[in-house]
Amino acid sequence: MLEIKDLHVCVEEDPSEEILKGVNLTINKGEIHAIMGPNGSGKSTLSKVVAGHEAYEVTQGDILYNGESILELEADERAHLGIFLAFQYPVEVPGVTNKNLLRQAYNTIAEEQGREELDPLQFEDHAREQLELVDMKEEFLERSVNAGFSGGEKKRNEIFQMAVLQPKLAFLDETDSGLDIDALKIVANGINELSGEDNATVLVTHYQRILDYVQPDHVHVMIDGKIAKSGDKDLAIKLEEKGYDWLSKDASVL
Amino acid sequence: MGKVKQQKERTFLQDLLNFQGSLNGKSKFLDEVRLKGAEEVRNISFPTKKLEDWKFISLRDLYKDSYELASDLDLEVPDISEHYLPESKGARLTFVNGSFSAEHSSTEDIPEEVLIGNIAKLAEEDNELLKKHLNKYVENNFEKDVFSSFNKAFLKDGVFVYVPEGLSVDVPLHLLFVQTDADTNYFTTSRSVVVADKESEVTIVEDHIGLGDNKYFNLPVVEINAEEESYVKHTKIQRDSREAIHIARTAVFVHHHANYESYTITRGAKLSRNEPRISQRDEEVEFTVDGLVLIDGDQVSDTHSVMDHRFSHCESHQLHKCVINGNAHSVFNGKIFVQKDAQKIDSFQENRNLLLSRKGLVNTKPQLEIFADDVVCTHGATVGQLEQDELFYLMSRGLNEQQAREMLIYAFALETIENITVDSVQDLLVDEVHQFTENQLDSKLTA
Repeated sequence: MLEIKDLHVCVEEDPSEEILKGVNLTINKGEIHAIMGPNGSGKSTLSKVVAGHEAYEVTQGDILYNGESILELEADERAHLGIFLAFQYPVEVPGVTNKNLLRQAYNTIAEEQGREELDPLQFEDHAREQLELVDMKEEFLERSVNAGFSGGEKKRNEIFQMAVLQPKLAFLDETDSGLDIDALKIVANGINELSGEDNATVLVTHYQRILDYVQPDHVHVMIDGKIAKSGDKDLAIKLEEKGYDWLSKDASVL
Repeated sequence: MGKVKQQKERTFLQDLLNFQGSLNGKSKFLDEVRLKGAEEVRNISFPTKKLEDWKFISLRDLYKDSYELASDLDLEVPDISEHYLPESKGARLTFVNGSFSAEHSSTEDIPEEVLIGNIAKLAEEDNELLKKHLNKYVENNFEKDVFSSFNKAFLKDGVFVYVPEGLSVDVPLHLLFVQTDADTNYFTTSRSVVVADKESEVTIVEDHIGLGDNKYFNLPVVEINAEEESYVKHTKIQRDSREAIHIARTAVFVHHHANYESYTITRGAKLSRNEPRISQRDEEVEFTVDGLVLIDGDQVSDTHSVMDHRFSHCESHQLHKCVINGNAHSVFNGKIFVQKDAQKIDSFQENRNLLLSRKGLVNTKPQLEIFADDVVCTHGATVGQLEQDELFYLMSRGLNEQQAREMLIYAFALETIENITVDSVQDLLVDEVHQFTENQLDSKLTA
């Protein structure tokens, strides 16, 4: 589904500073991946680059989605293909309700994918079903996007948006950070419910905590702009015990 | 050199006084008003950039051309019914190029206790209420202002509304000022006087529309008197032609326990200068002077407002938002006066600017002059851009760039328009925001 090949990325404003230094990663349908790593290792950048953020420039390598390069596509075109990013810091848009944003988004994507668009009533039914998944009240639909939301509400809203838009490939950027245990369980439950044979999920996280509730098929550790190690769930447990230093040293030897 | 220039500017409006003649002989009362106005125009100098209040904009676009009086020209009037507000189907006075058009007006839904009519006719009838109120508020609020004097010098028509004590008018009154297309530059003036007597309530929509892209000089003056415990809602929409010059004065008196609420939308004109001046006339009043400016291309919009707190216990609110694209230039100067014995004043003022292009320009100057000691006045001004992260967030949800920008600009503008109670005006403004953003994609912003 997604193939990242020798990806090198710098910030557009400062081409001398390379953030990703040759990332290779393959994600198949039906898989859940976890990308872990210390702060500044480049894991957030990787998710933004896949989603098409304009502040980053790919200097080398490629990103293939279903076999085709998406590097030239704008963020919205990637969303139309089914790529979704849950933001680490969701943006507040006062004056625009969750419902209006999501209906416009849903219908734009549906139109691009040749699926049927939903009228306001049909959409409301669809959105209401997804609300239960993240344990949110109906009034959530009428509230301005993220405006005045608590940190936990913002993260749940990201999962809610994912549920409504039904992406094929979702990157969840630190969606677990800043959550209390109840909220974490709700978010984890949402991720589990939404994972299926036809889609793939990538959890980008600093902590092993969420992996107690979501079982990843693959765990990758990113250090200094590269995937330093890949493995199964045991790798995450080992990291929890030994910390990232253990791999940093290892990586420098490599 | 300075002297020669000053001479030229001083004589510009005076030259136009030559057109006065064609207006005389219908109402002795108005003839005298105009004579007085002309006298004032001769005695007040034309503003230059050397004056603090005029330093940010140039009036060259106004005085570099010559104009004829619109009512002297025989201009064709196309169908304008698309501009009627559905809520005001039977509550509309229309003025085409400054003259009343009975054909495009209807007052059948307005309660008959309300006195509403065009000034020319009421003056011919020597109406006492008109004579009592006309000029009273503007003369008090705009002393030594050559433009309001010029409006007086050409006062021939406009709206007079008197809502009697205790009456609530539940249909919004649509005051529609249409300027037609023409090959000749023309100037046009209008006067609207709205008096809401004790415990009455009225909503007015002052609507200026330019039908073509021709150059004209539009100088409307509005006078509003909100008597004790009255409630006046006033929405002004300025959609003049993109080549027009729009210079407007609004003078408002607010009396004991009264509430004046206004929203001014500026979308048209090449150069516009809007000057609302609100004067508190007694204790315990409320007023709102919000504004939304959407300008692009080479448009210049200037808002100079005065909120004059003269008595104790007043709550005032001014949120002035501007969206600037292209080479457009926005000016805001909001003066808040709190006079010596006006205690317990709670005044809020904020000017927020959304700058969409590199070449746009914003001058903003909130100004407080407070002579009382027990007051709360907050004021602030910001200039910002659409954030790349905000755009990315919406685009990553599938919205294209046009949709995303529109949504963010709409969200920015919404705060100033969501309180407007006339639904069709809200819809119209949503369309204006849509059209405004539709033209934006060429000048893409890189934050």
